[in-house]
Amino acid sequence: MSEAPVKQHEYDLDTSWMQKMGEWGVRAEPGKRGLTLAELQIGSYGEVPEITRNMTGRPRGAGERPEAYRVGAYGVRAKSEIWLSNATFLYEEALQRQWSSATDVPWHTVEPLPDAVEEAECLLCTFFNEVEFVAGDVPARWVAQTSPDFLEPRHVLLAQVMDESRHMDVFRKRALVNGGGLMRMSGATSGFVGSIDLARDFTEMSTRLHISGEGAVLTMFRMGELFGQNDAEKTMYRLCAQDEARHVAFGVMHLRYLAETAPDRREEIEFYLDEAEAQIMSGVQNPAGTQAETSEALAILLGGGKEHYDEGHKQLLVIRRRQLKEYMQRVKTAGFGARFENGRSTIPKQYEAAL
Amino acid sequence: MARFPSLDWFREVRDVYNSDSTLHKGGGGACHTTAAFRVDGKEYLIQFEGTKIGDIRGATAAEIKEVDFVIEMPFDLWKDMVKNVQEHGKAERRYTLNSIDLSQAEGIAHSPSDDQYRQDLFYRYNQNFQDYFDASARVETTF
Amino acid sequence: MAKPPRGGMAVPAAVSEGAAAAQSVEGVPEPTYEWMGLSAEWGVRVRPGEHGLRISDLNVGIYGEVPELWDDQTRRPRGALPRPGVPPLAYNLRAKHQMWADSAANLYEEAIQRRWIPATEVPWETLKPLPEDVERAMCQVCTELMQYANTEIEIITYWQDQMSYGYYEVKQFLATATFDCARMIEALRKRALGNGGGLGVEGRGLVNRMILESRGGWTESAVYLYLVRGTFTMHVLRGLLNAAHNDAERMIFAKAIEDQARHLTYGYDHIRYAIAHNAAEADIVQTLLMLGEVMMGAELEETTMKPALAIVFGGGIAGGRTVGMETYLHLVGDFVRNYLAVCEWLGVPRAEMLHPLLKKYLEY
Repeated sequence: MSEAPVKQHEYDLDTSWMQKMGEWGVRAEPGKRGLTLAELQIGSYGEVPEITRNMTGRPRGAGERPEAYRVGAYGVRAKSEIWLSNATFLYEEALQRQWSSATDVPWHTVEPLPDAVEEAECLLCTFFNEVEFVAGDVPARWVAQTSPDFLEPRHVLLAQVMDESRHMDVFRKRALVNGGGLMRMSGATSGFVGSIDLARDFTEMSTRLHISGEGAVLTMFRMGELFGQNDAEKTMYRLCAQDEARHVAFGVMHLRYLAETAPDRREEIEFYLDEAEAQIMSGVQNPAGTQAETSEALAILLGGGKEHYDEGHKQLLVIRRRQLKEYMQRVKTAGFGARFENGRSTIPKQYEAAL
Repeated sequence: MARFPSLDWFREVRDVYNSDSTLHKGGGGACHTTAAFRVDGKEYLIQFEGTKIGDIRGATAAEIKEVDFVIEMPFDLWKDMVKNVQEHGKAERRYTLNSIDLSQAEGIAHSPSDDQYRQDLFYRYNQNFQDYFDASARVETTF
Repeated sequence: MAKPPRGGMAVPAAVSEGAAAAQSVEGVPEPTYEWMGLSAEWGVRVRPGEHGLRISDLNVGIYGEVPELWDDQTRRPRGALPRPGVPPLAYNLRAKHQMWADSAANLYEEAIQRRWIPATEVPWETLKPLPEDVERAMCQVCTELMQYANTEIEIITYWQDQMSYGYYEVKQFLATATFDCARMIEALRKRALGNGGGLGVEGRGLVNRMILESRGGWTESAVYLYLVRGTFTMHVLRGLLNAAHNDAERMIFAKAIEDQARHLTYGYDHIRYAIAHNAAEADIVQTLLMLGEVMMGAELEETTMKPALAIVFGGGIAGGRTVGMETYLHLVGDFVRNYLAVCEWLGVPRAEMLHPLLKKYLEY
């Protein structure tokens, strides 16, 4: 006698959602750089709204559900407020170029240094540790406030938060690896009026953080290879500089996009640049600036000791010139170069005076 | 043995760089840029695609205008840099591209289109370019 | 080495145009070296271990002292000397039990070591056409998981800049967590758009809302994010890995499981620490879970994850009605069992009080 087949239990299966999905039949193909976010800009999935109505947190292009909860506290809902044309590129680059402070920095090359040099390096590391706190906290805050319809710039900002976290840790490691320690905090990262923390607009924040602040720090990191005393420091500063250059690129390209698409905001941006420029050399946020105690530490490092302070100071002036020049170049690239020609900005005078 | 500067030399270094991933240091990674080296009046175009270097060839004036950035320094400085790499296995601190750029008043990298975003690629991809020149330690070189 | 800090801090004066130009001509004034000798502990020399120099290796002397309360609302690095007169910032979470996990430092380093790159490391060429119902189901699942990851990003980034730097290890780990989530969204979006499909319909967001509206403290958010939602997500990812159709999916879900495992380790570790160090916390967590189980149970009733996963596991709609749904229900049963076991381990047993909407899955 054959056995009757066991009938499996049949459950109800709702398939009505299949009719409510996003655009169907798309096929993103890997390009020569793999399957990047750029390759996903197809059909409706590549259409970024000028103003988003997405308050539910759905992925851009997903089917909408009328009863979905509007949970997004998204203050940033206009594309011009956050967009940049090469966000996909910067994000993918960030993923490709991650590094580990634990294993990619040759810590074994750090050897005892003269006390003054070690103190100077530790002061600088304490400062950079502190300053990266800002660069980590503030972009994170803006991510939570930005609609996921702007997935690409959000992703770049999340990569920045990751980079800054790594910077925080590498400077702490350097301060503690060579018989030194952390020094006194600078206080440069507190919320003075007009500072990065207090910005209530993303572009205002980005102008201060990415273009002014990180632009100045980028030059410092690059200088690290000159004042670094060993391979570990050279590596540490060079890798940080690469990351920082990406963050600066975000700022420049976002500002460029805004200048092109929201000309009514130009004058507002000019004011942000005015405020940022007032602090570039005189503010304590620039470690090479005139009021920063870190500038003394830099002069010691660049000169190779207290006894060569003057020589180090000369090199510091070179750094300031470079900071000013590159700042102007970046602002020009972003589409706001007229301010250096029409007398609005004092930076050209400062630069000429520094030559 | 290859003579610096020459296409053969740049291509031999490329082949060394591409063939050995241990030469690609942490913090390098994929890099997408077209740059040029201007050495002793001649221009050499170099294309990075991902973790490999593709084309290296002589560049026309029109092509130079389109590159992201050009690295240019006095010939003696180029020579000193390459000699330093040959002698030490990799560039010493003062002979890295970054250090040399900082030590020159106007730098050594500039964007032909005066676009700082593109010039900043020299900073963003600095590790790859440094790894490339450090790879020249394995290329027997004459001058 | 430490000297008493001097009073007040130098506030940069508003600099006039002329003064700015003049200062940059004169350069740095005669050095004062006031900053020299100002260190709370000098002479520290940490050494790299076999895994390199990790942040946990830095916990020597005062630098390793992690106080139960960090009352500094500035960005002072732990161990650095304070500077008087620095105004406070909105670092509202200043107690260790509000965010700490002993594992955070090592999880941070592990996250960096185990990074992956979807664009170039996932073998996208192995994606091959699937039957339409299965492809739709996969895309729907990807879309839901993307929303889970988005919620995680939004709640972490909401809290991150309120967490004080006394517990920087946690902030650093959470930076890796949001980066992981960004990568997850990226990989899932690529999967959904890479095989002739598209995105699914958005989830209603019951649990997303519960997570995002948890404003009482990071621990509350962590309970919903990791213990409730996160535990479920892990089971879904494991089920998807088991049912993967190709090497691309296998890699995506295998890597997602690794990333998620780190998040859960932190989450469970933190909740355990909070319960152990804050007398009121166990009762609070019990209340949170009572509410959380209702929401989770309600979501499980209506979520499109259910039919979509059933179709994936069953190889199509027909199989979804039988073996697929059985597999899904068993998955949810495993989630509930796992959830109960973790609650027991944390010291907030739920077995006796488990909400019926979740309890019913124990029969599977």
